[in-house]
Amino acid sequence: MSYQLDNKPDNRVLVVGGGMGGIRTMLDLAESGHSVVLVDSARSIGGLMTQLDRTFPTNNCDLCTLSPHLSQSGRQERIELLTMTQITGMEGERGAFSVTVKTAPRYIDMEKCTACGECFKHFPDCVRFTPGLDHRAPTCMRYPQAIPQAYSVDMAACKDLQALVDICPAKAIVPDDTEKTRTIECGSIVLAPGAEVFDPKGLDYLGYSSQPDIVTSLEYERILSASGPTSGQLVRPSDKKQPQKIAWIQCIGSRGIQKGAQSYCSSACCMFALKEAMVTKERFQDSIEATIFYMDMRTFGKDYELYLQQAKERFGVRLVRCRPHSVVHKQGAQGLEIQYLPEGQAQQVCEEFDMVVLSTGFLVGQQTREMANILGIDLDSHGFAKTGSFTPVATSKPGIYVAGLFESPKDIPETMVQGSAAACMAAGDLSAKGILSGQEEEFPPERDISGEEPRVGVFLCDCGENIGGVLDVQKLADYAQSLPGVVVAQSVGHGCSSQSMERITSIVESEKLNRVVIGGCSPRTHEKRFQDTIRKAGLNPYLLEMANIRDQITWVHAAEPELAAKKAQSLIRMAVGAAKMARPLADSTLPMNKNALVVGGGVAGMTTALELARHGHKVYLAERSAKLGGNAAKLRKTLEGEDVRAFVNGLVEKVKASENISVITGAIIVDHSGIPGMFKTGMQVGPQMFYRQVEHGVTVLATGALGNHPDQYLLGKSDSVITQLEMDSLIEDKPEKVKSWSNVVMIQCVGSRSPENPNCSRICCQAAVKNALRIVEINPDARVFVLYRDMRTFGLSEDYYQEARQKGVFFVRYSQDAPPKVDQGQDGCVKVVFNEPVIGADLEVEADCLCLSTGLVADDENNEDLALIFKLPRTKDGFFLEDHVKLRPVDLPVPGFFVAGTAHSPKNIRDSIAQAQAAASRARTMLAANEISTGAAVAKVDGQKCAACLICVRACPFGVPFINAEGYSQIDPARCRGCGVCAAACPAKAIQLMQFEDDRILAKLESLFERMVA
Amino acid sequence: MEKFEPVIVAFCCHYCAYTAADMAGSQRLDYPPNVKIIRVPCSGKVDAIHILKAFERGADGVYVAGCLEGDCHFKNGNLKAEKQVQYLRKSLDEIGIGGDRLEMVFMSAGMGEFFARKAKEMTEKIRELGPSPVHTQLEQQARQKAS
Repeated sequence: MSYQLDNKPDNRVLVVGGGMGGIRTMLDLAESGHSVVLVDSARSIGGLMTQLDRTFPTNNCDLCTLSPHLSQSGRQERIELLTMTQITGMEGERGAFSVTVKTAPRYIDMEKCTACGECFKHFPDCVRFTPGLDHRAPTCMRYPQAIPQAYSVDMAACKDLQALVDICPAKAIVPDDTEKTRTIECGSIVLAPGAEVFDPKGLDYLGYSSQPDIVTSLEYERILSASGPTSGQLVRPSDKKQPQKIAWIQCIGSRGIQKGAQSYCSSACCMFALKEAMVTKERFQDSIEATIFYMDMRTFGKDYELYLQQAKERFGVRLVRCRPHSVVHKQGAQGLEIQYLPEGQAQQVCEEFDMVVLSTGFLVGQQTREMANILGIDLDSHGFAKTGSFTPVATSKPGIYVAGLFESPKDIPETMVQGSAAACMAAGDLSAKGILSGQEEEFPPERDISGEEPRVGVFLCDCGENIGGVLDVQKLADYAQSLPGVVVAQSVGHGCSSQSMERITSIVESEKLNRVVIGGCSPRTHEKRFQDTIRKAGLNPYLLEMANIRDQITWVHAAEPELAAKKAQSLIRMAVGAAKMARPLADSTLPMNKNALVVGGGVAGMTTALELARHGHKVYLAERSAKLGGNAAKLRKTLEGEDVRAFVNGLVEKVKASENISVITGAIIVDHSGIPGMFKTGMQVGPQMFYRQVEHGVTVLATGALGNHPDQYLLGKSDSVITQLEMDSLIEDKPEKVKSWSNVVMIQCVGSRSPENPNCSRICCQAAVKNALRIVEINPDARVFVLYRDMRTFGLSEDYYQEARQKGVFFVRYSQDAPPKVDQGQDGCVKVVFNEPVIGADLEVEADCLCLSTGLVADDENNEDLALIFKLPRTKDGFFLEDHVKLRPVDLPVPGFFVAGTAHSPKNIRDSIAQAQAAASRARTMLAANEISTGAAVAKVDGQKCAACLICVRACPFGVPFINAEGYSQIDPARCRGCGVCAAACPAKAIQLMQFEDDRILAKLESLFERMVA
Repeated sequence: MEKFEPVIVAFCCHYCAYTAADMAGSQRLDYPPNVKIIRVPCSGKVDAIHILKAFERGADGVYVAGCLEGDCHFKNGNLKAEKQVQYLRKSLDEIGIGGDRLEMVFMSAGMGEFFARKAKEMTEKIRELGPSPVHTQLEQQARQKAS
């Protein structure tokens, strides 16, 4: 019943773009009970990230972290994917849009296609280009785990159509496929089309189009990638030899330097280049020399500065601050010559490299601009969707939201945050509020099989030629039939086709089977489907076992069919043996508490509370101080010139007016218990410190950060020395004072990027540029000096940096070893001495005002208490540590906990709001369910056997087991992640991991060796 | 006597090694069929009794395959597995089966090519080591029974 409600247009969101941002939006919406149509012009979803080899700052393989997300997206029932599809028209308004889309012909019926690859094997000419170096991947699936798992045909390149149609064992090729147009009715729209990458062909002095060994950073990524054209071997394109000396050149196509380049900073390239340099040295040879030519090293994200330090110190990556003049290939020479002028030197240097990587930036594609035009949303001068300082994901048109690179240049974690934020906002426009019923599909009641002897059914797929071409499936079925306990053994063709699944269901019923073995593909991709199949027949879904005879036999042993057949028998025998041991398991469930606790009443906390309240959840907003507002209450203007005070006041009013929000000021959290979905948190409230306990399903931490106040440069000792935050108010309140100034000096990175606080505070460069611009606006005669180490005006704020330079603000770089010197001057002035690297001399300035960019630090004391109470991990510098720094930047590692704002890391108001909206979205995905499912693959303790030796307590990576009052180990099924480490470590074998019980694993071993012993 | 074909059991973690094995499949990378995979949620789930049972029943080689260091979906199950394997190698030496027959390997889900190469290497290595003493004994017993 819920499905029909779900699928009404007023509960539907259209998501454009299937990259990371769009996928995040889609999953958040679907998990919150809304239906989603996702359109992407590409042939499969995944976007740019699927082309990356590894990602910073973890240097992990992407496919491994991404593919579970993608297969998740292929599975969700409320999701419809339309690939090769573009928007052609739009009518209506927020709440009732009507969008026309056009789908290009794929010439393949995706319902039938099994991605077997036969068509490609015989007709490689029909293969299209994929990004990469030799540009011809073995399939036109862009990466091995592509979703949808289907090929596409390039009809223009096809010479023998009939032969192509005949080769397909699944009869999936549709030669008369045509372009299709349809209309999608939806309540709101999220745009996440991503961006294109700058093409350096036009820059002849870089030699990209003439020299094969000059590649873009994305192409270099493909060279490193295991699924790339060189299978992960680092070889240079010209001679297939491993390069020994590689240079990266930054800001290609960004920061307005070259012909056709954009003026903004692309934000991600510095980290990208550092990662590539480190991975190169780590994976291939430490002796490879890696050099990065850069203008400012912009490692401004959470812990990114530590990453930079690691690159320099641990990996010896060489960083050269300069902009190379050119890259040339001298005739007869082996390598490529880079000509550059090192900083502080008058002589140009020529240095030879084996390979050059151009760090190309992002830009908005033409197709995206056209779509924006159709939808009628405003773009800025660069083509990015216009948004506001306080509405980070809302476009100019109500009901249309934006996430990811189309909003502004950014990296993956920020894209993920915006993806969730856009989901939150888009859901707010739907009149039908998403509600999940406990069960997605109607299943018959489960049959009780206790006391029954195992009656196993074995169903074998031939998967077209995939299995059938190597193995005699009928013979294998005959063999399976001979195994003890097997009642039925059949070949079922394509087991995953709906026809075969129905057949399996009916045989399970008619033969009263109580165990099922599927011999076919991988349980990784298809276990859930077959579990549903047997569940439909009234069997518990965990009474299934799969034998992977395709991926791990026929695909890899095709050359030895006899041995493959033998191995297939072994695998089937093992699966039957293990299936007999399978027990019915229940995903245990508990009722969900739909309330939320938000800790922290700043902008982030209030935003999350309002968003959750808007979706009908009761919110407890606990604020430690006596009033709401947080750090932002002290701020006046954003870089874009918007009024912060009015915004914060408005937010406070809305929170107070909301019926669903209960504000608890003066609240100190003191205790916490329960499981995700059923928490209890105690706090002491008000001057009298009354104890109060609230019950809630999720917890959002928005506890903020503290303005740093280091004892440096006479701060607190001279009235003329102030912080950027104080400057912000001073400009607003005392403009006459600003008018009286002749010289103003600002010093960046005070108390940041230092041994005591190694991280970058992210917000200070923008604050300095903002205040410098306001000062010269009020007082054009004032000389403003900004002393910086690296200007980190990332993304679109680069434009303001350029504006400040044009308006005569002096930006002077200093190095960490030679910081400016500050002394008390005359008439209340401050004397600042600094080295000016361009003229190579010391300058002395009598400053009327010295303004220090002191940034933000974690609220260590408060965070430590909360971390102890909630059992949450923190970073070295005291911020809360998210579950996955790349893909889950809002979720905390403890389920049911989310983080927003500066409690996560230093960030500006805009980014705090985005993260707060994202936290609300992530929280909604949990709160939408009526029940808490605690899964089945959990560890169970036999109290009789347990000796309370504490080994499991120590072994568990998540600290779940504890010794209970009865004196034996207890494992909370809601918190158990199902790794089974405790079960392996338990000396008394008192712990069993469900689904992977010892007797089940041992049964596999016994069955494998049965024949040998017999 | 017919050519010795070793039986090798590979305990593969779900998230990385098992996925890498599937990846080897999608890339159609040949490796010897001697390797039989048993899927576990995490390499840290592999118990000494599982490994020893394999040898007891006549396996000629066993390896445990987990995620790369730092990539384990359960934080450090792979390192726990490695410790376990190192310990068991000593025990296998002591009881005369030979610790060289047991190995720990690490790979990411994308490393299908590495999976196939490792399967090959392991098979070649075990082939050189010859049948495990338990395997030889069991075969003899079976032959005696038959005759």
